Amino acid sequence: MSLKNLHFGAIWLLVAGLTGGLETGLSAQEQANPFTTGLDVRTGQRLFDRHCSVCHSVGATGGDNGPDLTTGEFRHASTDAGLFNVISDGVPDTPMIGINRNRTDQTVWQIVAYLRSISGGGGRVAVTGDPTTGERLYRGRGNCSSCHWLDGEGGRQGPDLTTIGDRRSPEELLSDLVDPDERVQPRWWTMRLTHVDGTRVEGLRMNEGTYSVRILDSEDNLWSFLKRDLSENERIETSSMPSYTGTLTGGELEDLVAYLYGLSRRDP
Amino acid sequence: MKRYVLFTLLLFAIPVSAAQQRSGEPATQTISPAPSFEPVTHERLVNSDAEPENWLMYSGNYFSQRYSGLDQINRENAGQLEMQWAFQLRALDRAETTPLVVDGVMYVTEAPSNVIALDARTGSQYWRYNHDLPDDLNYCCGRNNRGVAVLGDRLYMGTLDAHLVALDAKTGDVIWDAEVADEATGYSITGAPLLVGDKILTGVAGGEFGIRGFVDAYDEATGELAWRLYTIPGPDHPDNASWAGNSWRTGGSPSWVTGSYDPELNLVYWGTGNPGPDWNGDVRMGDNLYSESVLAINPDTGEMVWYFQFTPHDVHDWDSTQIPILADSEFNGQQRKLMLWPNRNAFFYVLDRETGEFLLGEPFARMTWAEGLDQNGRPIRIPDTFPTVEGTTVSPAIGGGTNWFSPSYSPRTDLLYVNAHDGETTYFIRDDEYVAGQRFTGGGGQTPLPQESYVSAIRALSPQTGERVWEYLIQPRSTAGVLSTAGDVVFSGTIDGFFFALDAETGEELWHINVGSRVHAAPMSYMVDGKQYVAIAAGNVLYTFGIRD
Repeated sequence: MSLKNLHFGAIWLLVAGLTGGLETGLSAQEQANPFTTGLDVRTGQRLFDRHCSVCHSVGATGGDNGPDLTTGEFRHASTDAGLFNVISDGVPDTPMIGINRNRTDQTVWQIVAYLRSISGGGGRVAVTGDPTTGERLYRGRGNCSSCHWLDGEGGRQGPDLTTIGDRRSPEELLSDLVDPDERVQPRWWTMRLTHVDGTRVEGLRMNEGTYSVRILDSEDNLWSFLKRDLSENERIETSSMPSYTGTLTGGELEDLVAYLYGLSRRDP
Repeated sequence: MKRYVLFTLLLFAIPVSAAQQRSGEPATQTISPAPSFEPVTHERLVNSDAEPENWLMYSGNYFSQRYSGLDQINRENAGQLEMQWAFQLRALDRAETTPLVVDGVMYVTEAPSNVIALDARTGSQYWRYNHDLPDDLNYCCGRNNRGVAVLGDRLYMGTLDAHLVALDAKTGDVIWDAEVADEATGYSITGAPLLVGDKILTGVAGGEFGIRGFVDAYDEATGELAWRLYTIPGPDHPDNASWAGNSWRTGGSPSWVTGSYDPELNLVYWGTGNPGPDWNGDVRMGDNLYSESVLAINPDTGEMVWYFQFTPHDVHDWDSTQIPILADSEFNGQQRKLMLWPNRNAFFYVLDRETGEFLLGEPFARMTWAEGLDQNGRPIRIPDTFPTVEGTTVSPAIGGGTNWFSPSYSPRTDLLYVNAHDGETTYFIRDDEYVAGQRFTGGGGQTPLPQESYVSAIRALSPQTGERVWEYLIQPRSTAGVLSTAGDVVFSGTIDGFFFALDAETGEELWHINVGSRVHAAPMSYMVDGKQYVAIAAGNVLYTFGIRD
């Protein structure tokens, strides 16, 4: 780049900054999403279905070519502006291409709004329960910390809940508590294995392939078996977590949900 | 000129060998002559089975059997396979490439549309060609390229911006670069071309963009278009009536996987993909000919001699863009010219490739959308299996009972080996308006359960009965092609990065290795200096395996 071009580029950047630069996308790094109404979300969903679902699937739950976008965690962006840039320009050297042809900034922001609405990372909603009571239940009668990791301590027999409020809505959290078998991620399935030498081991399925399986038993021991060395290999696709329907009252469940929903790395 | 070069190399080699003999160094350090690349004639392509040390086209031979006549690696010693060399591809995408090997020189493609020439003994590079692409290129499903074709001393490659380029096989220099179609309207090319006579045949991708598909033939010397066969007939043809209104104009029917050729019948066979929009069939009522079909084409004229439509009025994106496998085998007590086609719609078809007559069709993977096939091979649909606004769950999955990844046929076992998937998808319908260059799919899909809930398998099928002779289960699944060999070994891979060898007769596992990343390409085999190699691209690395000397 010649000095002359550099000079011109600097002026252009300055002008873009002064004028807001929305059309260029340059200042998107600083932008909050200006298109977040219900209509924007619905339009974003239509746009997502059209441009993105071939890889990420309808509902953004992930497909052969694209990851699940409903977890609240995005590999290549954390802010709305970052998502704007990824959707607009793609991720270099990967199958993720931007929709930069024939799009407007509004189009991209609407897709951002849709993704936020389904990823547990949308606008925070008010909850009715009391989080302080919820925390007492979590550590006391609910006995949650015996299985779940939170802020660097707790059990290893369930998912880390340190930022669960960023990934699950209050409705989803309540559903997890009363019906834990509804949709169990393969990481939390249970394997019952018998080695040819007679050893029997049961534990959480950490990973499994054609040739081997790795589990974490209830005493937090890691095991890895070659499948050819197993005489029995049973997979249980339900959750090892009990339902809290009979254990906690409706009000207590709401309190626990309020506490869990408040577990977030974002500012309150 | 060529003789002179070889002579010079030999002179160079002799004193080195003599010096090594004197010092007693091992013979493996001898610098042998550079590979001798002989021009690849049409006759060599027709008789490619006579030189199993080379891999002269995408699927190995014109019958697309992906079968290697080499048997140095066999079911007795496959357990001793070791890595020989690896070549790092620059692109981060998962590679879908099948390399060619011509007299010791390997040609491998890399995403998005690059070619690298390597010494097939060492993986060391001769040259590379990087194809320039527009910055805002629009394409469906990844920056893929599956391989090149060779004729004479030229290579031919289709590119992601829908061009066809001719390269000098010795240097990678561009000879000509022809635009096949306007990429701005959604066309791209990901498959390897097919060389027949003096013509380069190529298909196009773009079924998710409302293109009108075609198969093209170009003059190999000049790059001029020789003929174009649209995979959707125009209004002057009676079959155009299989499309409601003007829906044929944006009806897709792409041709993105390489075809096959029968030199005796002088027929080329090419599969076609989904009608567009993919999941909303309401806007294109009718059978939508010739989407989801195999076309038999006269390569001299581009005339379609016959067609067979696997899935009339498809609404699930079950492209019939599989590799047409041609086999001469017995059927009902008679020796027949067969075509074997495990389709994405989960049926395994056997056709007579002279006439297109339907001979057999049996499910080879989980299938819930049809009661079976009628006597003409037309599916008998189960009601209420079309996509809906709320979603309809049907098997096979969008990815299909199988997909584009190559199956294999061994004339020794007379078995067809296919990578099958027992999955399901919840299919949705959506309204869509056609805008040139934008996606035009009319819906989509969602996998109702975690992918780990489903399985893949390599299945060995009988062409006579369609029955499963054996299967090798894979967890969680596989999107890799299959190679069979004269050593009675079947090779394939898994999505979690394993490459494996099976006994071709029994399906028993002989060997596997963790190659660290998804195997999404098909294996091939070749021989240089008396040593057999098996090559596979995994992730963005090309690996070769062989038996220790």
